Amino acid sequence: MMQYWPLMLKSAGTTLWLSWLAMLLGALGGTALALLRQIRFAPLRWVVIGYMEFFRSIPILIVLFFAFYGVPLLLEVDISPFVAATLALALHASATMSEVVSAGIASVGRGQWEAAAAAGFSWPQTMRHIIAPQALRVILPPSVGVFITTLKESSLASIIGYIELTRTGLLVRDSTGGGFLPLLALGAVYFVINYAISQVGAALERRLHIGRRSDLVGAMA
Amino acid sequence: MGYSFTLRTIYPYFGDLWQSALNTLSLSLLAIVLSIALGALVALMRRSALRPVRLLGAAYVEVMRNTPLLVILYLVYFAAPEAGVRLSSFMAALVGLTLNSAGYMAEILRAGLIAVPPGQFEAAQSQGMSSAQVLRHVVFPQVFRTIYAPLGNQVIAVILASSLATAVALDEVASWMQTVGSSSFRFFETFVVAAVVYLVLCQSVNIARILIGRKLFPQGRRA
Repeated sequence: MMQYWPLMLKSAGTTLWLSWLAMLLGALGGTALALLRQIRFAPLRWVVIGYMEFFRSIPILIVLFFAFYGVPLLLEVDISPFVAATLALALHASATMSEVVSAGIASVGRGQWEAAAAAGFSWPQTMRHIIAPQALRVILPPSVGVFITTLKESSLASIIGYIELTRTGLLVRDSTGGGFLPLLALGAVYFVINYAISQVGAALERRLHIGRRSDLVGAMA
Repeated sequence: MGYSFTLRTIYPYFGDLWQSALNTLSLSLLAIVLSIALGALVALMRRSALRPVRLLGAAYVEVMRNTPLLVILYLVYFAAPEAGVRLSSFMAALVGLTLNSAGYMAEILRAGLIAVPPGQFEAAQSQGMSSAQVLRHVVFPQVFRTIYAPLGNQVIAVILASSLATAVALDEVASWMQTVGSSSFRFFETFVVAAVVYLVLCQSVNIARILIGRKLFPQGRRA
């Protein structure tokens, strides 16, 4: 078992890279969706809300299956397990992040918008200089929670054969003749990573003086 | 291109879908009920007067919230036989899902208990109420109101998470999508069907939660 530790740690890097990339794309997508939702045009808002509800009401696993097995059939393109996993995780994260960002924007009082308008700020200027800095305070802590969720969800990539942390743990288990010790070690690696990240999140919350990490829909993984 | 959407090819598999959907539903329902019970136990442990008990409760929550459900499922599935317990796929999935969900339930219930100020316990007791009465008439209504919305979220999370049971070889909706898709090469169609099943399940919970919430808390903002 000991000789496999370097392998486990290396694959932990793979897991971190996959989740980080998915989180980044998810945060960008989520922010775009939240901004679209600000536009006062009902059909557009319905589309954004529909997108959110859709991805929050279906398991990420079937999105992963579709991305990996379905999209190649549909579009006649090759999709690697890595791309499929990144895509599925990012889609799911974007739905959650759009909720987080919307809540952040909503947390800034109406008076700020009115004052900015009175001062002659355009909409992009108001967003950029007045709203965003204040909203970020509310957005950051739950984002840490979304990242932890994404990191845990990235374990699903093992099901379509992508060799990340979980798949490596299962392979180590196979090559050491079964047993559950490798799985225990696997769980421990995840725990240490996520616990460390959650502590960073908690420190962030204390600094920004706001409530606890919230559990959003589908946050369990 | 030239992919045409047709459900006809997968009609023969709709019988299996019914069975798979029942598995998803029964697995989720059982896991929700059992994890509320286990979660309540952990939440009470975290309020215990004994420090080791409190720490154990806190450790349980942290471990479950920071470890992927998939790893817990594999652990249960592979470790149980080594401990001499033969678990079916369904039982392994149920145990794993319950253990994991209980970590979240414990946090939800704990938040609910915190919302009841200690003075209320004392006030109710000084009115001559028994502890059962205090629990029933004073604590429960307030706890329930606080946990109502997050509890609904957790119910949905469990339904979605039950899809991971496919990894321990349980026939549920996600594995239906996978097996039927790979035998018919109709992954788009199976995806749409599976998505509809999950959407219907989750949105019924969502809508029921809002409607019941309006009835239960007519003056409240939380629904």
